Amino acid sequence: MVTSTSTPVETGYPWPIETTRLNNGLRVVVSEDRSAPVVCVNLWYDVGSRHEPEGQTGFAHLFEHLMFEGSVHVQKTEHMRLVQGNGGSLNATTNPDRTNYFETMPSEHLELAIWLEADRMGGLVPALTQETLDNQREVVKNERRQRYDNVPYGDAWLRLLPLLYPPGHPYHHATIGSMEDLNAAGLETFRAFHRQYYAPNNAVLTVVGDTSAAEVFALADKYFGALEPVPDIPPAPNGHLTGPAEHPARQTVTGKVPAPRIYLSHRTHPFGSAGYDTVTVLATVLGSGRGSRLYQRLADGARIAQPDYVGAYGVDLAHAPAPLIITATAKDGVDAATLEAGLAEVVDGLATEPVTEAELERAKALLTTSWWRQLSTVGGRADTLGRYATQFGDPASAGYRLPGWQAVTAGDIADVAAQTLQPSSRVTLTYLPGDHS
Amino acid sequence: MTLVADRPEPGTARPYSFPSVIRTEAAGGLVVAAHLPGQLLATASLLLDAGAAREATDREGTASILAKALEEGTQKRDSAQFALALERLGAELTTSVDWDAFRVGVSVPVDLLPGAVELLAEAARTPKLDPSDVLRVRDDEVTALRMEWAQPGPRADAALRADLFGAGERYGRPLHGDPTSTAAVTADDVVEFHRSWLGRPGVLLVAGDLDRLDLKVLAEAAFGGTSGDPLPVDPPLTLALRDARRTILVDRPGSVQSTLRLGHRAPHRAHPDYVPITLAATVLGGAFTSRLNHLIREVKGYTYGIRGDFAMTRRFGRFGVSAAVQTAVTGPALADTVGEITRTRLDGVTEAELEVARRWRAGQLSVDMQTPGAIVGALATLVIHGLPDDYYATLRRQLLDATVADVSAAAAAHLHPGSLTMVIEGDAALIRDDLTALNLAPITDAAP
Repeated sequence: MVTSTSTPVETGYPWPIETTRLNNGLRVVVSEDRSAPVVCVNLWYDVGSRHEPEGQTGFAHLFEHLMFEGSVHVQKTEHMRLVQGNGGSLNATTNPDRTNYFETMPSEHLELAIWLEADRMGGLVPALTQETLDNQREVVKNERRQRYDNVPYGDAWLRLLPLLYPPGHPYHHATIGSMEDLNAAGLETFRAFHRQYYAPNNAVLTVVGDTSAAEVFALADKYFGALEPVPDIPPAPNGHLTGPAEHPARQTVTGKVPAPRIYLSHRTHPFGSAGYDTVTVLATVLGSGRGSRLYQRLADGARIAQPDYVGAYGVDLAHAPAPLIITATAKDGVDAATLEAGLAEVVDGLATEPVTEAELERAKALLTTSWWRQLSTVGGRADTLGRYATQFGDPASAGYRLPGWQAVTAGDIADVAAQTLQPSSRVTLTYLPGDHS
Repeated sequence: MTLVADRPEPGTARPYSFPSVIRTEAAGGLVVAAHLPGQLLATASLLLDAGAAREATDREGTASILAKALEEGTQKRDSAQFALALERLGAELTTSVDWDAFRVGVSVPVDLLPGAVELLAEAARTPKLDPSDVLRVRDDEVTALRMEWAQPGPRADAALRADLFGAGERYGRPLHGDPTSTAAVTADDVVEFHRSWLGRPGVLLVAGDLDRLDLKVLAEAAFGGTSGDPLPVDPPLTLALRDARRTILVDRPGSVQSTLRLGHRAPHRAHPDYVPITLAATVLGGAFTSRLNHLIREVKGYTYGIRGDFAMTRRFGRFGVSAAVQTAVTGPALADTVGEITRTRLDGVTEAELEVARRWRAGQLSVDMQTPGAIVGALATLVIHGLPDDYYATLRRQLLDATVADVSAAAAAHLHPGSLTMVIEGDAALIRDDLTALNLAPITDAAP
């Protein structure tokens, strides 16, 4: 006998959350959990590639690199040495919406982590040198080569964004940016970028794990409290779009790829909205797991798609309608037109062929497991709270996401599919094997 | 701006503890479980002595095909019914094949674990393995391998492995096979592999809130219908080193980076020098501030990242360095890499570097072991290598106690820059002259 999986949950965040705001505007979020002697310190800065003006693409991401290269009281490479050398793990990421920095440490080093984060928030500019800038520009160029240029299909995301979002839209360009823009800018431009955005009133500090709110609030005040806020931080360009695209767009790339591959993509709803909850469940019904429609119909049924390479996922962007990306790769002997027709039929069917209770239950169960997996580390919890505090003003709103997914109905999915997944608004990106022409 | 100039001192460390390990013999098999009170998710993994080393010659890839074919229906239900039964619990079957073991696992909210383990066992013990399904899975696997081998890396890895362990030996062939060996696998090979190696009980690993789990129930599900004693463990391979360096060039026309794979053979996992070897490798190439990453990324800007490590299994080990570097600097990057390995062998490590390495490795035993999945992985290490239940506490102490002399001695004994095989996968027309001019080693070309 199998236990039912669709028991509704009250909240997706059953741990305590306490918040405060320093006088300089820094928001501080704490979630205590004493079950392991570890603590995560996470900073969300409300700056991403959507803030970059024309001619400065790639700046937000390059800055993520520069933040590891020393600040007034921390020598070049010392940041990494102090975190790893005290048993911690760290990283940072940049996307169109934001830049985040995080380290998980044995809890006796909490104060060190907070000191390091404060020093690079308030003291990066005086330490930034031409040598460091030049070195990290080269590292980023190698990152671009390794991730996008030297791998088959690696540039799909770079190609999809300008097809999905019009010129001038904050999501039109990819976060990795233009190497020409990075080359053209001087040290002073980068210093100005940091002064503008790396401010206490533009950040959320989240600490999760083996500590208390009182301890964290006191440490935040001690190390960040004296930093000056930056008045009038300019907002990113407005991401508002009036509904789905009015025309389909299509691009075909012929090159060194081992098999034809199709990406279909649509703008849907912003992350955090009820509409996007529906998109998340829809994407799982469509493309997650062997029970998904794409797997069952294209990989297992018609056998035109390679089983390891079918999928559908939303990209969780909050400041404009976020993309849903659907992809399949042709099996040997199957041409791109056949694959595209098969893929389109399954996607179009979401509006006309109601999702069954079994499909819905399956999708919600998979999403439930993935939610708890994300929250099974202090790092996953800290990033989640930082996201909800930054994007929706309240870390506790993280608790609504899982119930939001569980509330999605088959009717919601059909409605969202009919509204946002029409062929008339579809972006189709096709890769074909062959010589560059 | 008023930043606090003084770096804070650490607070008082809580004593380290690995979750309590419970070993239960039940239903003819062994359950090794870790108690994680309050944890919402639970993970179970069936660990079988059916690793890739059990595959027949020229049929490399058999175990990987079997791993996928397990989900093509069971004696009870077809593949679609099986997928739905499993996924409605929120579970997906994770299978993995390495040199030592074949694993089938599930992670789910804790109260759903019994149902998920029943399904896991149904797939692992009683798969349908209809020949037409197996052949379709094989063909898909061949295609997937071709996709993977179109990326930089797999061809270089294969060239290195063949050179270190012998192209005719199982350990000299790719872990998951290559497109050719996989295409040669028959339905009978797969059925036979299953019959030969997946019928013994094996070990069930469980991590989760044991107050909410009945290990006997899980054991009955996992071990029902199995029989046979554990297989004997073969001794480690003899460690053979080359007497000179060599370069193997793998052509990838149009590549904008060169993929470096350097390596030589090394001791197996249970070697008494495991701790100082690990620390020496951390100083050389394991941490962000390691010698290799510092010089080649942070000073020179040649790469997005470079790492060096010792990969160790039950029967063998290998030292390896991997990186992707910009094509134009392939020669200098290679020379710097060999230079750092040589320096580490000759001069050993410094106390400052070792302090980072030991505290990092020790800290990771807490930081990296937060999830049931990570704990199950740690339990697997105990079982595969025959380590005691208090191993992680002991390991932590050994890491923290290791001295500069211990680790420098391990670097001198186990790093062999003069015996390196250096595989470079890149645009041969653009890099050959530079590599020749470097004069580090004679160059041979890999078969296309």
